[in-house]
Amino acid sequence: MKKFLATTLAALSLIAGQANAAEYPTKDIQGVIMWGAGGSTDTVMRSVTPHVEKLLGADVIMTNKTGGVGAIATKYVFTRKADGYTLLMGAENPQMYKVLGLAPIDYSDMIPISILARGTPIMVASNDAPYNNMQELIDYVKANPGKVKAGSTGQGGMASIVMSMLQSQVKLDTTTIPYDGDGPALTALQGGAIDIMPAVLGAAIEHVKAGRMKVIGLIDVDANPLLPNVTPITETLPGLKSMLPWGPFFGVFVKAGTPANIVSKLSDAFNAGAQTDDFKALMAQRGYTVMGISGDTAKTFLESYRSVSSWLVYDAGFAKQSPDKFGIKRPQ
Amino acid sequence: MEALSYFASSWIHPELLALTALGTFLGIYVGAIPGLSVTMAVSILISFTFSWDVNNALCLMVGIYMGGVYGGSRTAILLNIPGAPSAIATALDGYPMAQRGEAGQAIGLSTVMSVIGGFVGIIVLAVAAPTVSEFAIKFQPRDYLMLGLLGILLVGSLSGESLSKGIFAGALGILIGTVGLDPMTAEERFTFGVVELWNGINPVAVMIGMFGIAEALNQLHHLDKTAVKQKVDKIIPSWKDIKKYLPLSLQSSSIGVVVGSLPGTGGDIAALMAYDQAKRSTRNPEVPFGKGAREGLIAPEAANNAAVGGAYIPMLTLGIPGDAVTAVFIGALFIHGLNPGPMLLTEKPEMFWFTVGNLTLANIFVLIFGLTGIKLFTKIVEMPKGILIPLIFLLSIVGAYAINNSIADIWWMLGFGVLGYFMKLYGYQVGPVILGVILSRLIDENWRRAIMSERGEIDSLFVNLFASPLSVTLFCIICLVFISQTPIWTRWLKPRLIRS
Repeated sequence: MKKFLATTLAALSLIAGQANAAEYPTKDIQGVIMWGAGGSTDTVMRSVTPHVEKLLGADVIMTNKTGGVGAIATKYVFTRKADGYTLLMGAENPQMYKVLGLAPIDYSDMIPISILARGTPIMVASNDAPYNNMQELIDYVKANPGKVKAGSTGQGGMASIVMSMLQSQVKLDTTTIPYDGDGPALTALQGGAIDIMPAVLGAAIEHVKAGRMKVIGLIDVDANPLLPNVTPITETLPGLKSMLPWGPFFGVFVKAGTPANIVSKLSDAFNAGAQTDDFKALMAQRGYTVMGISGDTAKTFLESYRSVSSWLVYDAGFAKQSPDKFGIKRPQ
Repeated sequence: MEALSYFASSWIHPELLALTALGTFLGIYVGAIPGLSVTMAVSILISFTFSWDVNNALCLMVGIYMGGVYGGSRTAILLNIPGAPSAIATALDGYPMAQRGEAGQAIGLSTVMSVIGGFVGIIVLAVAAPTVSEFAIKFQPRDYLMLGLLGILLVGSLSGESLSKGIFAGALGILIGTVGLDPMTAEERFTFGVVELWNGINPVAVMIGMFGIAEALNQLHHLDKTAVKQKVDKIIPSWKDIKKYLPLSLQSSSIGVVVGSLPGTGGDIAALMAYDQAKRSTRNPEVPFGKGAREGLIAPEAANNAAVGGAYIPMLTLGIPGDAVTAVFIGALFIHGLNPGPMLLTEKPEMFWFTVGNLTLANIFVLIFGLTGIKLFTKIVEMPKGILIPLIFLLSIVGAYAINNSIADIWWMLGFGVLGYFMKLYGYQVGPVILGVILSRLIDENWRRAIMSERGEIDSLFVNLFASPLSVTLFCIICLVFISQTPIWTRWLKPRLIRS
């Protein structure tokens, strides 16, 4: 009797499991945000999700699971079932985990649901700094080695990769001071504790508009409508063309092995959410570029980011592992 | 005139008024439950209030913030579990008061002092926001370092009968605080290859264990003792008392506003500093500090609520969060299509007075809700131990889990509970441990940033320190506080000064 019950239950749960895949979603979905409340990843996810909930007809319960540059959330989602009920809501960080030795997994071990938006890196400087563009900064640093204090968000963070990009073209002797994120670093810039900071446009734009700091470089190949007077860095350092455009991004991911129909249902919902007027207006206002891509397009984008960044940090000497070890190709 | 109409808008619209009241009420309970933080509640509300009008959403969130910071004192007084790190100092004297049968008076006094502190914060925000925020962002890494060192000197106030045991406990706290990825280089420290340790040991888990569980275990020694009958008359402090303690609460509130307005420090450090300042400046407390001194309850409560107004100062004027909650507020404003930043007050000047008015309203609700139902709460302390102790365990476990939805935090919490119990048994205070945990990161990061800015040269650190008036002032304060705790001062200088 017991055995019969057990088999029946097992069979039932199997059927139920299949039914779930077809009728997904039948229960609340968990969204795991890898950065803290109030940060840019958090804000992007919390502003797109209400649209997605409407389209999916289910609640997405979001929790912030911070730590280990997002590795704790990434690993957590990886331990869950590949059933589409646990989403990883993250930023670009996992793409560096392998070379930095932070985790054995990155986004290539997951399925991208949607890359929602990407940010443009810029270089900001304090108002009283004696340089106004990248060339003047380079000249000044060469004339005053060690004088310029550059803010950073830790090795492997966006600021460190931008600095490595510059280093790959021209040797610069700056003093690096790490902060807990670009918010605290931009505060330090206004207080005079640091002189320059590579930051994402969205984080700095309001301070720039108010005239509390100045933009001296745009780390992109094209000019940006929000910064009409700043020339792209490739005009100063043409060698960077092979690495750009490059920048931080926000995306939603599920564990590899999630059924294809669930992936496409989620992708449709998030991509549609990214295309709503609300979301687009929000992103434009902060200088983020809306993407809303998934499938192979997303994979190509992710791979290009991983390849550029991994090789930059490897060449700069702070990678723990060679990108070769993971089959990451050098950017062309 | 226009400012006044914005100020009053949340008072005269019934919907906004009701939402502020609801938020404050909820906030008191969110704040009272250890592990459930205001930051968490406000960020959940962001998606919940997504489709609402921005003012409605803000009213609810401001209420939760104001109520939540106050609510932390409830469980600190009744059960010795601070609802949040900013209520740690409240537990030091609030809980002994409750054990003496004065839980009602303690809650009444903490409510009134919280509200006074709240008003001081709001007034400074309204009158001097631009000046204070320009001052606050001028703090360099070396200044934060000195604030941290000033905080560490509090060990002297928290260590009970033996200073050396206090220093040991403080050092243990600092050691606990260093676990995790190095904040500067992301190098692993004391993690033994365990990923869950990367983020360090959560200070809230340490706090809940060392205060809540350790006390519950300690209570097991007194199972036969019946609980003290609570005095439930004179719950609302008399006018005479308020007048008597007003200078102290104003002093503590000013510490609260300034420390709260600094982007790198918040209500927890403000409350502890105010406690220390109160202990040092109170000549003859009726009851010694640590045994249920009213001054020891007033100072942190006024300071942590004053820090709310303080935290808003850089947020509204510069778009720089003064603490974790205001960081979430910035996210909320952004989602609602506003541009939180230094331009906010130029583009939306009404936001400023609306927030000031709304904070004032929420503060009034704190007074109303805080002073109702106190008699019912004091019954908690009178409960039989057989119910009370399991209740403390339940609350501590739920709280520890809620911090980060992690089972590991529950084990940490229980482990530190047992450690805290044995420490108490052998005359070690747990206060310095949690102080060390809180300050460890502040000191670690800023010491290294300070020395990195000088490219590793300690002499130029001192040269630059003496070139900055702010740093020199902080340095002198540290020296004075330090000397005032040494035998040179207590045996030799102080008696001479008093005689002359």
